[in-house]
Amino acid sequence: MLATNLKIAKVHLTSKIKQSIVAVLGVTFGISMYVFMNSFMTGVNDIQTELAFTSISHIHIYNDGPPDNTNLVKKVYKGNVAINIRNARVIQYTEGIKNTGEILALVRKQPEVIGITPQVNINVFFRNGSNKINGTLSGVDVDNENRIFNIASYMTSGSWNGLQYRHDGVILGLDLAHQLSLNINDNLNLLTPDGVSKNYKIIGIFQTNVKNVDKSKAYINISSARQLMDKNQDYVTDLQVNVRDFEITEPVVARIAPVIPYKVESWQTSNQQLEAGSKLRNIIAQAVSLTILLVAGFGIYNIMNMTINEKIREIAILKAMGFSGRDVTQIFLAQAIVIGVIGGLIGMVLGFVIADVVNHIPFKLGGLNYLPMAYRVKDYLLAFIFGLITTLVAGYLPARKASKIDPVDIIRG
Amino acid sequence: MNNDIALKADHIVKYFYEPQQFQVLKEVSIEVKKGEFVSLTGKSGSGKSTLLYILSTMDTSYEGSLSINGGILTGKSQNELAAFRNEHIGFVFQFHYLLTDFSVIDNVMLPALKLNKKSKAEIEEKAYQNLKMLGLEDQALKLASKLSGGQQQRVAIARALINDPSVIMGDEPTGNLDSKNTDIVFDIFRELTLTRHQTIITVTHDDDFAGKSDRIIQMSDGLII
Repeated sequence: MLATNLKIAKVHLTSKIKQSIVAVLGVTFGISMYVFMNSFMTGVNDIQTELAFTSISHIHIYNDGPPDNTNLVKKVYKGNVAINIRNARVIQYTEGIKNTGEILALVRKQPEVIGITPQVNINVFFRNGSNKINGTLSGVDVDNENRIFNIASYMTSGSWNGLQYRHDGVILGLDLAHQLSLNINDNLNLLTPDGVSKNYKIIGIFQTNVKNVDKSKAYINISSARQLMDKNQDYVTDLQVNVRDFEITEPVVARIAPVIPYKVESWQTSNQQLEAGSKLRNIIAQAVSLTILLVAGFGIYNIMNMTINEKIREIAILKAMGFSGRDVTQIFLAQAIVIGVIGGLIGMVLGFVIADVVNHIPFKLGGLNYLPMAYRVKDYLLAFIFGLITTLVAGYLPARKASKIDPVDIIRG
Repeated sequence: MNNDIALKADHIVKYFYEPQQFQVLKEVSIEVKKGEFVSLTGKSGSGKSTLLYILSTMDTSYEGSLSINGGILTGKSQNELAAFRNEHIGFVFQFHYLLTDFSVIDNVMLPALKLNKKSKAEIEEKAYQNLKMLGLEDQALKLASKLSGGQQQRVAIARALINDPSVIMGDEPTGNLDSKNTDIVFDIFRELTLTRHQTIITVTHDDDFAGKSDRIIQMSDGLII
C-alpha cells in the first residue's frame, strides 16, 4: 500500500513542478537564514570572547594585600580610652606569592586546567627623555604567557620569543610606544616605585586592540623583573590560569581556593560587566534564532498548507475510491519529507554560501579585517532537523484535517 | 436477513444546515435486491443525489440506518467505511473526477492497488480488460486530462468496476455523454446486472435511460413517491 501512496505523492510533486519548487524554496529560505544568522551571531560572540581574553585569564591568583585596617584602634582598645595615633601606616608582611612551585604543581593537577603562567607585575614609569608615562610592567614566563594570552599573534614588529633570550629586552604596547616616541631597537628607561631606574632595549611592539592594554603595558622576562625588584627566583605577584571551558570556572575555583592561601578569583567575579555582556549576547543570539525559527516555520507551514488545499479535491476522490485517512496522511507526509529534505539540503548549502560571502565583507575595526563568522556543524544539523520537523508538522496538520472530513463535503463544494 | 437484499436503507433523515436548516430527506426507506438495476429520478433539489451519497457511505451525517450486503454500516468509522467502499462499492460521479495528473491506466488501477488483493500484473490485466470493454484500450497510457469528456466518463466507469464491487452507484453517470455513449454505458450496466449479479443504483435525468432500467424510484421534496 505504501508503494501506491508513494507513487501518488511522487505524481503530486512532479505534476505541478513549479509549485513544488516554491515549497522547496520556502524551506530553503528559512533554513539558510537560520544557518546564516546563527553562524554570524556565533562568529561575533567568539570574537568578543577572544578580544576579552587577550588581557584577562579565566582564573587569577594573587596576594590580596592586608585586610582593611582603617579602624585598627577600636580592635585593640575597646571602651572609653582616649588614644591619639598620628600617621598610622600599614606594614605589609608578605608581598606577592610564596611557594609558587607548590601552587603551580597543585593547579596543574586540576583536570580542567589547560595552562598557567606566573607573572611579576610592577607599576612603573616608562621614560624617554622628559616623557614619563605611568603603566604596568609584566615580567612573564615567555612560553606560558603566550599559551594563555596568545600574545605572539598580536606582535606588529619584533618577535615575542626574543624575550626568552634578551634579558635586557622589553616589548611595548603600540600606543605606549607612540606616546613615548619610541620605535623598535630604541632604548627605554624604567623607574620602579622603589626608585630603581634601568634601561631596556625595545625588541618588539604589540597591538591587542584593547586600548587600555596597548597604551600602558610592557613585557620583560620574569627573571629580569625579579632582578629589577630585587627579589628571589621564586617571587611571583600573579598567577594566571586558563581552563578548558571559560564558562565553567567555578568548580576549579571551589576546589583550589580553600588550599591556596591567596585570593583565587574567576573572571566572572572580577569582570562582572564582561560576564553580563557575554550572557546578554547569548540571550540575544537565542532570541534571534528563535524568531527566525518561528518566521521560517510559519512560512513553511503556509506553503505546505496551500499545497494541500489545492489537492483537497483529489483527496476527496481518493477517499471516495476507498483510500483511508491514514493513506491521505501518508501521501502528504511523504511529500512533506521530500520537500523538507531537498529544501533542507539546498538551505544548508545556501546558508553556507551567504555566510561565506558576508565573511568576506571588509570590517576594519578593533583588529578585525572582515565581518566575523563561525562555521559550526551543529548549526547546520540543527537547521536541517528543525526544517524537517517544521515541514512534517506543517504537512501533517492540514493532512490530518483533510483525512477526517467526509469526501462528499468536498465534492459537493 | 434476506440474502437477496443488496442494500437496505431505513428511515433516512438528513438536514442541511447552510444557509439555513432544511430537511432534505424525510424518513426515506428503500430496499434494493441483488442484481437489480434501479434508477433514482426526480427534479433537482428533490434529494436524490443526497440520498445516493448517503447510500454510498460517503456522507455520514444522517439519521436512520443503512446496511449493504447484510452488514450495518451506520456508525462505522471513516476508515472502516473507506475500506468497505474500496471493496464493495463502485461510484461514478456526475463529472468524471479522475486524477488528471495520472495516466488512464493508473486511474483505473488505483482502487485495486489500494485493495491490494491481487498482484500488480493481474490488476493491470484487469484494468486493460475494463478499458477494452469501454472501447478505451488505446488511450490507456495517455494522461487522464488529455481525454475528451465522454472518454473521461467511461474511464471513471472502468475505475468503478475494477474491484468487481457488489454495488455500483452513479450520480448521473451519463449526464455528460451523447446518446451513443449513453447507450454503451447502459448496455454495460445491464450486462453487469445480468451476468455478474452486480447491483446498480443511478441518479439520472434521462427518462429513456431510466425507462429501460428494472425499477424507477421517483423522489420529490425528500420523499419517495
